[in-house]
Amino acid sequence: MLTYIVFLPLVGAAVCMFVPKQLVRGVALLTTVATFLLTLGLIGPFVGAGSADAAGLFDIFGSKYGEKMHFVQRADWIVGDNFTIEYFVGLDGLNMPLVVLTSFVSLLACLASWNFDSWKVNKGAKGYFALFLLLETGMLGTFVALDFFLFYIFWEIMLLPMYFLIGVWGGPRKEYAAIKFFLFTLAGSVLMLVGLVAMYFYSAEAVLQNPALATSYRPDVGVLTTGTFDLIELASNQAIQTYFNAENTYFLAEGIKFAPLMFMFLLIGFAVKLPSFPVHTWLPDAHVEAPTPISMILAGVLLKMGGYGFLRLCYPIFPSGGHAWAYFLAVIGVISILYGALCAMAQTDFKKLVAYSSVSHMGYVLLGVAVMTEAGVQGAMFQMIAHGISSPMCFFLVGVIYDRAHHREINRFGGLWLTMPKYGTMATIGFFASLGLPGMCGFIGELWVLLGVFAARETFDWAVPMAILAAAGVILTAGYILWLIQRVYLGPEKQEYAGYPEANGREMLILVPFAALCVLFGILPKQMLFDYTNGTLNLIVKTMATAPAKFGAMAGM
Amino acid sequence: MSNYETYLLAGVAIPFVSFLILMLFGPRLGKPLAGWVAVAAMATCCVLATLTMVGWLGEVENGTAAEMTAAAKDNQFYWADLGTVPINIGVNLDSLTVIMFFMVTFIATWIFVFSVGYMAGHSDEVGGQSKYHRFFCYLSLFGFSMLGLIISSNLLFLFIFWELVGLCSYLLIGFYFDKKYASNAAMKAFITNRVGDFGFIFGLMMVYFFLGTLDLDGAAAEFSRQYASNTGVFDPAFTINIFGWKVSGAMLATLMGVGLFCGAMGKSAQFPLQVWLPDAMAGPTPVSALIHAATMVAAGVYLVARVFRLLTPEAQMFIAGVGCITLTAMALIAIVQTDIKKCLAYSTLSQLGYMIFGLGVGAWIAALFHLMTHAFFKAMMFLGSGQVIEGCHHEQDMRKMGGLIRKMPVTGITFLIGVLAIAGFGIPNAHLGLGGYFSKDEILAVAWDRAGIGGEGHGHHGDHGGHGDDGHGGDHALAGTTGFTLVAGAGGSHGGDHGGDSSEEKGSGALKLMFWCALITAYVTPFYMMRCWWMTFMGKPRDQHVHDHAHESPLMFLPLVILAIFTVVSSYALFRPLIADAAPALTDAVLVTSYDGHAYDAEHAKGALIKLEAAHDWLFWGVGWSWLIMFIVAIVIYRGGLDFAAKIKSAFSPIATLLEKKYYFDEIYDFLLVRGCRLIASISAFWDTYIVDWIVASFTSKVTERFSVFAGRGVDANIVDGVFNGMAVTSFDLSNFFRSPHTGRIRNYVLFTAGAAAVAILLILVFDQMSGTQVVLTSAGG
Repeated sequence: MLTYIVFLPLVGAAVCMFVPKQLVRGVALLTTVATFLLTLGLIGPFVGAGSADAAGLFDIFGSKYGEKMHFVQRADWIVGDNFTIEYFVGLDGLNMPLVVLTSFVSLLACLASWNFDSWKVNKGAKGYFALFLLLETGMLGTFVALDFFLFYIFWEIMLLPMYFLIGVWGGPRKEYAAIKFFLFTLAGSVLMLVGLVAMYFYSAEAVLQNPALATSYRPDVGVLTTGTFDLIELASNQAIQTYFNAENTYFLAEGIKFAPLMFMFLLIGFAVKLPSFPVHTWLPDAHVEAPTPISMILAGVLLKMGGYGFLRLCYPIFPSGGHAWAYFLAVIGVISILYGALCAMAQTDFKKLVAYSSVSHMGYVLLGVAVMTEAGVQGAMFQMIAHGISSPMCFFLVGVIYDRAHHREINRFGGLWLTMPKYGTMATIGFFASLGLPGMCGFIGELWVLLGVFAARETFDWAVPMAILAAAGVILTAGYILWLIQRVYLGPEKQEYAGYPEANGREMLILVPFAALCVLFGILPKQMLFDYTNGTLNLIVKTMATAPAKFGAMAGM
Repeated sequence: MSNYETYLLAGVAIPFVSFLILMLFGPRLGKPLAGWVAVAAMATCCVLATLTMVGWLGEVENGTAAEMTAAAKDNQFYWADLGTVPINIGVNLDSLTVIMFFMVTFIATWIFVFSVGYMAGHSDEVGGQSKYHRFFCYLSLFGFSMLGLIISSNLLFLFIFWELVGLCSYLLIGFYFDKKYASNAAMKAFITNRVGDFGFIFGLMMVYFFLGTLDLDGAAAEFSRQYASNTGVFDPAFTINIFGWKVSGAMLATLMGVGLFCGAMGKSAQFPLQVWLPDAMAGPTPVSALIHAATMVAAGVYLVARVFRLLTPEAQMFIAGVGCITLTAMALIAIVQTDIKKCLAYSTLSQLGYMIFGLGVGAWIAALFHLMTHAFFKAMMFLGSGQVIEGCHHEQDMRKMGGLIRKMPVTGITFLIGVLAIAGFGIPNAHLGLGGYFSKDEILAVAWDRAGIGGEGHGHHGDHGGHGDDGHGGDHALAGTTGFTLVAGAGGSHGGDHGGDSSEEKGSGALKLMFWCALITAYVTPFYMMRCWWMTFMGKPRDQHVHDHAHESPLMFLPLVILAIFTVVSSYALFRPLIADAAPALTDAVLVTSYDGHAYDAEHAKGALIKLEAAHDWLFWGVGWSWLIMFIVAIVIYRGGLDFAAKIKSAFSPIATLLEKKYYFDEIYDFLLVRGCRLIASISAFWDTYIVDWIVASFTSKVTERFSVFAGRGVDANIVDGVFNGMAVTSFDLSNFFRSPHTGRIRNYVLFTAGAAAVAILLILVFDQMSGTQVVLTSAGG
């Protein structure tokens, strides 16, 4: 099932290459619709988790991290004498919502591409939609892959279509933006690659050293005797965990501790994607130049890869690294929140403002996972999904007005709520969701993270000041968003924009589902998300808490 | 689920349905049908609220109310888990909820009716377009949020609705959003409230972390337990380091209370967050009446009343201080206002200060009683001002009015009733007066007592301890003798731990000052209210044009009359017994010293006139006639027009200027906070674009370049070479690369993908080779 879902867009992409130009967008839409419907089926095994008893919860989530995966498909892919690269995909509470989000945002982004012919750069519809679908395959694959190597391949596959989509169909400085996006992400991938290789060899070493502990979670394997790329194995095999997180496991040279270093290697790659300060600077450029649907995907899905990476790779495999870097990450997270908000406040380009708001919002994700408390991690996860809904909506709102006005200067707008009342109402909903208004999706994530940080007081002395600083972010956020609304939507109607048509049916078709979800997630966070994710997230937190070794802050470097 | 819960829940749901209807079908319903939909919804709620209240009064009589409160607690909806703490929401069914619910629905209904009249003209036009349905849509949403806030049994949900009423306030202040001042005011209101919410969130964090629940009653019980057992937030060994400030023990508990109170400071516009409320008058007048006078701004007071059990004496002291500053400073500003709505706005601020001050000194019943009566008469006065403004063709300047009583008799008389009520009209010793008289007197009496003026107060509480038939007498007598220090605990053991150093002397000194401020303000209030009334309705018309235009419309004065009647009724019946009934449970905590809540049992409180004997004896003569004295002063000054007032003003010109500039708060905030924040934002953006980007980007490109050079030399493979050549092309000659997008793109792209995968496999192979094993590549599965 997962395989079909992942590769369905690829098939669609292939079809796109061979159908007449006029049909391409139809094929693409059909593919994304089909993919979305199929991904909805993935929720199946998780239904009922909210009211399940202990046994039911065990069936859905297992009793420790990785024990229970759904829709698992695995096959040997590249087999060496003592290593196996597998095609291994599966779903748990961590990636299921992200997969659904991906197909959902892709569907709406595809709808947003419907007016491709009227774009400034409107050549090569075939290429555009084919790459678009390929991108979807890459994204879905990244989320479902449970073999590190496979994950890495999908990660790279995703990178490239994005590069072209920005670089070919983007705005005036598209080449610069595309290169920047590419290089930043590549820098992260390089470190991830080093981590990939190193983790493989160290896992081989680990099982050799301590075969007594090396019992695999897979009954058919029994005792593990070789290195592995299996992300679940890496996180759950006692021998590997003990060795990876030991105080005296060094990398390259005596004194450089393995876990914190590897943790950092992986983390940098994910932090670029997240994006967190100071490696966020590709984001505003990429967003400003990318066409609207690509911005939606970028903000809605690609940024989530970062947070997903933390929770799938960094923390379960290197919990001690998480402890070692907690302070550093929390600081970076808080800086991202405040600094992103401040930068957003100073922007005059509508799209750049939304881009910086992403930096600020994703800072909560980093902060939430950094403190490793249940509430923090749950909040981070919720924030990812919430941002995956509100932020594409905001980008689309920018796109709607850009299509009409052909500029994005905030200070030149005004009175749009009078000119386009429906659009104005949708914009209010979208931006208030982004502001974190209670009753809307943005609020839950932020609040959970803040309370989670505060609750980390028992482990970390610095938690309270961090929570206070991060909470101050709510004031700044309100500041820049309300100021934005005032400048763009409020005020007297301007002659310049007087004749602009109201948002049309297609545009409303995109905005209304987003708006509805913004509200639904805010009102029923449990039924919409927590039920499906918390089981897995709490297990991950448990894994972190029982890390074999805890280093002091900033140890090992 | 008892009927009452059903009624209350339905009462919350109905305005929401009306909101949805108006949002979806509003334009089709048109004018005035859309308005009547909202009225009908709110009126239904009011009927439900009345049924609830009448039934509830019976339950209180029968003594079954407490059971029902407890039963409602068991009936909760499991909303979500916060970490591992489950969040359950339910209806907080007690006397306070019932009475607040009634007050809000009743006032809202009549204000909605008024709005239909108010919006009948051109007031619904924004930028030339009618936004009639949107106005009622927002009002309905407000009804939903406000009622939700009242019934929430959980702090988190209280906070959620709290923010929603803030949203409604934002939308309604900015209703005329084509006007710059309106959108500015809306933004100011929301952001100022957010500053308060920042504190509220901090308080929530503390409650969540220390008390382990966000349920109001659960938190209160846990708070008391922790105090008794010296654990949790009262654990002297527990220290929190806030930016180098080490906080521990009782100080933490105080901080928690202060944090929660910060939210109230924002919503109830207490010093120093008072700046948004006067500007909020930019909204349509019915909104000012409903949201910015009667209900939403009182939510802060309601919150403090609800979390009263979580306050330490120090936190109470802080609250009293803030309330005192607000009530005094804002009353003084009101003297110099010339805009009729602004004048009412400052009087609202001052009265809210009174309520907060009352809660701070422990006059729980009096403060809430004041909240209730104030809601009625202030809503009425605002509606009156709306009538005046609408009648005078949107003239708000009182200097251009005068003599309107002849043109608007109903408005003038109902407004006068409001003036009498707020001024504390009453005949000392005769149990005759209007709302403000009883509550103000009582608040002052409690403050007097608490400040220990006259020295008889302490013994007094001993007496009242004897009165108490609920077993709290002993504790409170002890608390009474020690004033505001934490030393007075359930047992002597707390003395050392809880920092008894904050001396009684100091607390009493500050309290004495506060008492005198509040007392003097009791003289200021009648003056500015009479000034306002006289300038508007009496004397000679100062602007003939305005005067000629003035008229009243029935749809608008009916609500005035109803509210005026209720102003009188509510001063005697209805509210007092229910508030008194709620008091024992909601002020029942080891630390809190609520004087009127416990010193007098519910039975006693029903008599409406509280006698804290010694205090009252003195106060009868101290403030009893203040309203009359200051009315006369005001009339003498304004009798012959504005000339005499202008003379007085020029004699005190520096003070008058200071007051007219509202102590320069707006200017200071604008300079320090708004401009400061934007400056920092600009610096950040500059820094981000030119410094961070430059460092990181050039660093990244260097690393990539080095890596590619290293890999290109180190790995001798044609494929890899090709890939890196491709990368080099991308990096350095991009225009070339895109020269023929149709032919080159896909090929190059495939090259990239294959290349990246190849690098990865190759690296593994190379490393594997180095570790001396043979590798066989097979392809399987997929």
